Amino acid sequence: MDGKLGKHIVRFVPLLLLFGLLGLPLLLLVFQWLTGANGAGLLSFINGDTFALIGNSLLISSTVAVLATFMGTVCGFWLYKFKLAYCGLYKLLLLLPLLISPYIFAVAWKDGFYWLFGNSSSIYSEYGVIMVHTFAFFPLAMLITGSALSRIHTGFEEAGLMVVSFRKTVLKIMLPLIRPALTISFLLILIFSLSDFSVPAFFGVRTFTAEIFTQFSALYNFSLATGQSILLLIVIFALMLIEAHYLSDAPFFSISEKGTNSKQYTVKRPFAAHLVLCMLLILVLLTPVFMLALQSLSGRVFFFAKAWELIRPASIQSLKLASAGALLVTLIGLWSAYVKERKKHRWPDFILLLTFIVPPTVLGIALIRYYNLPSLNFIYGTSMIILIAWLGKFGFIASRIIGNGIKQIPVSFEEAASVIGIRPIDRFFKISLPLLVPSIFTAFVLAFILCLGELGATMMVYPPGMELMPVKTFTIGANAPQALTSSMTLISLAITLLSITLFFILGKWVFKKYRYA
Amino acid sequence: MKYLRLTITLFIIVLTACNPSANEVTVYSTVDQVFSGPILKDFERESGIRVNAVFDTEETKSTGVMNRLIAEKSNPQCDVFWSGDPVRNGVLKSNGITQPYQSGQTQLIPDHFKEKDNHWIGFSARARVLIYNKNLIASDSLPQSIFDFTKPRFKGEFAIANPLFGTTTFHIAAIFSELGDTKAKRWMNELKKNQVVIAASNGDVKKRVMNGELAFGLTDTDDAFEAKKESDEVEYIFLDQQEGGIGTLIMPNALSLINGSPHTDNGKKLMDYLLSRRTESKLAASCAQMPLIAGTEVPDNVPSLDKIKPMRIDYEQTADKLEEIQPWLKQWTEN
Repeated sequence: MDGKLGKHIVRFVPLLLLFGLLGLPLLLLVFQWLTGANGAGLLSFINGDTFALIGNSLLISSTVAVLATFMGTVCGFWLYKFKLAYCGLYKLLLLLPLLISPYIFAVAWKDGFYWLFGNSSSIYSEYGVIMVHTFAFFPLAMLITGSALSRIHTGFEEAGLMVVSFRKTVLKIMLPLIRPALTISFLLILIFSLSDFSVPAFFGVRTFTAEIFTQFSALYNFSLATGQSILLLIVIFALMLIEAHYLSDAPFFSISEKGTNSKQYTVKRPFAAHLVLCMLLILVLLTPVFMLALQSLSGRVFFFAKAWELIRPASIQSLKLASAGALLVTLIGLWSAYVKERKKHRWPDFILLLTFIVPPTVLGIALIRYYNLPSLNFIYGTSMIILIAWLGKFGFIASRIIGNGIKQIPVSFEEAASVIGIRPIDRFFKISLPLLVPSIFTAFVLAFILCLGELGATMMVYPPGMELMPVKTFTIGANAPQALTSSMTLISLAITLLSITLFFILGKWVFKKYRYA
Repeated sequence: MKYLRLTITLFIIVLTACNPSANEVTVYSTVDQVFSGPILKDFERESGIRVNAVFDTEETKSTGVMNRLIAEKSNPQCDVFWSGDPVRNGVLKSNGITQPYQSGQTQLIPDHFKEKDNHWIGFSARARVLIYNKNLIASDSLPQSIFDFTKPRFKGEFAIANPLFGTTTFHIAAIFSELGDTKAKRWMNELKKNQVVIAASNGDVKKRVMNGELAFGLTDTDDAFEAKKESDEVEYIFLDQQEGGIGTLIMPNALSLINGSPHTDNGKKLMDYLLSRRTESKLAASCAQMPLIAGTEVPDNVPSLDKIKPMRIDYEQTADKLEEIQPWLKQWTEN
């Protein structure tokens, strides 16, 4: 009896806590929307134009998701499956576009177009949005697919290579085996692209998210904006359900044993590979960074010292908070993924999915309305509110990355331990956790990067007086000389790069320690 | 035990990243941090009251601060709202978010720049100006009125910022008030026909003119002032100053005390400080804002309000007009 009660407590208390932290604010917002507007006006925005706009937005974001996933998979393939010199450096450099805000990317590319062609009008179109989003989000696909490729069991590939060509092995064995990673990276990029309003707004492209943003910011029509956000949420949710039912939950994806090395191939023409990777680096990283550097040197005054003075206090606070945020996101992601994959409890993952697909402004408003009470000032008035917002934005990503890792651990490992009487908690800490270290590390680094750069929800909830790196760069950038803003962006980029390098060094040490766990 | 220790350590790490607040005044500002930040720091130093500020960004077009204020209505966190123009304060007033405030200091501001019930009080003003690139257009060929923008010789050569956001919305609403809806709509449609470039923001207009992408554009005096600091190729003029012209739009900063604010007394002290000659003088030096209090010292390169022909508008009526024309402006921008 006691044991059963204990199990229920372990199962339901964290779930209720997560629901109270993140699920209830959204439910409250929906309730306020339903009760605040009169029945006739509630769905008045649903018309042909709305669906055309959603269709157009989905088309743009799907194109971004396909292109970015393709680019990311190709890069992941070369960098994780081939023995290539400077492979680590390429991985690190190709990750960098993820650290630059898509808005900054858009500004840099627009200037780049003008600088290169003497005219930037062609970038003010859907193609501009697609290009900037693709370059900004493809590292996500590289990280996810690369991580999945590196965990394919050698035996599958060797068996394939014995009877068919390398090309066929890739198409018929490797790609099907990483299908969950491909679909999740497609969907994550689709959602990231759909959620971003800054790039379409900058390029004057009408998307559904930009429309929601306009209702919020220009017309202050909360009811309509909330209604539109709920419609967007339903559309994305339908896509996620398709993915969950037909793709990533399919049973044949349990593919590898941990602790075994994945097969790595030798590049026949390393020069060609380096050339292509360098060209890619020039396109996705060096051009915008070069434009930022050019802008930062274009002022009459050298702004780097001033930029450093402005960003230094914000960077310390940001690094501290992003580390805490990444830790929280990874821990909750680990718990959510574990109970989903091993205990078949889907609710935590569902709550994280809901908060992930909500536009950041809406999430921010939901959190304000729920937490802004005198009794909850210890949360709302402090940076805990930012941590909750980040958990809502990125918990799902961590849950999915770690979930994919759990799928690759044969259940038999834990079953064998169970047979000899090892306690569940020891099975988790001594067997599953060490085998999950690479996935947890990937989730942590990605969460750190995303927390450090998050602006949409953070802008809505950051406590007065607090200085955070992206917020400060953007608030200062509102009317500061371009040289100062660009200098601040470059410094932020360098700080983030340094932190990630440190994490990779730490990760290398951890991987070594747990390699034969 | 080991796991318990680990859990406690992680919890402490998360908690230490959070900083509880202290005695303070909280200000939400849509005025660019690069200008408002130093003034707030000065107040902090001189009064000993800690200022907690929330600023806004060009990327979010002041969404953050306004949406926060509206969402926080039931339990306000902010004491003073410092806006770059009075329109937003008008929106807050109609939502019941502001409260009236009057003091000896507010009496110094001319009545025209105050809301009649003192829900907002104006200070240091900006004006709408035409910024141009001297390499692309000669000063004697420049339009002298906004109505000249529709002339064929300027086709595709100029920009205005997205009229749904910021001071451009306010400017267009003032033009609608001045001309009446029919004439104003005709003028806007002719602008479209003359291939006006709709830029993302005033900052974007400034940048495109500085870069030489466009010959001229409409922006605010602070943007023009910054542009002149950055480039010798840029100059600005006030439009519609001729005999019979409608004048140029003057936009004061506007302060509102938030209804039910947690530190009302400190908020009043901050408002009095911001409404002083000294602050107006500092804003004149940092971003060429024009003082509203007579006799305030200004640098030579800052224009005086006495020498500019202003548009004769009622700020409250203009704010109402703005709300009325927003759906039409949205259509105009999208089509």
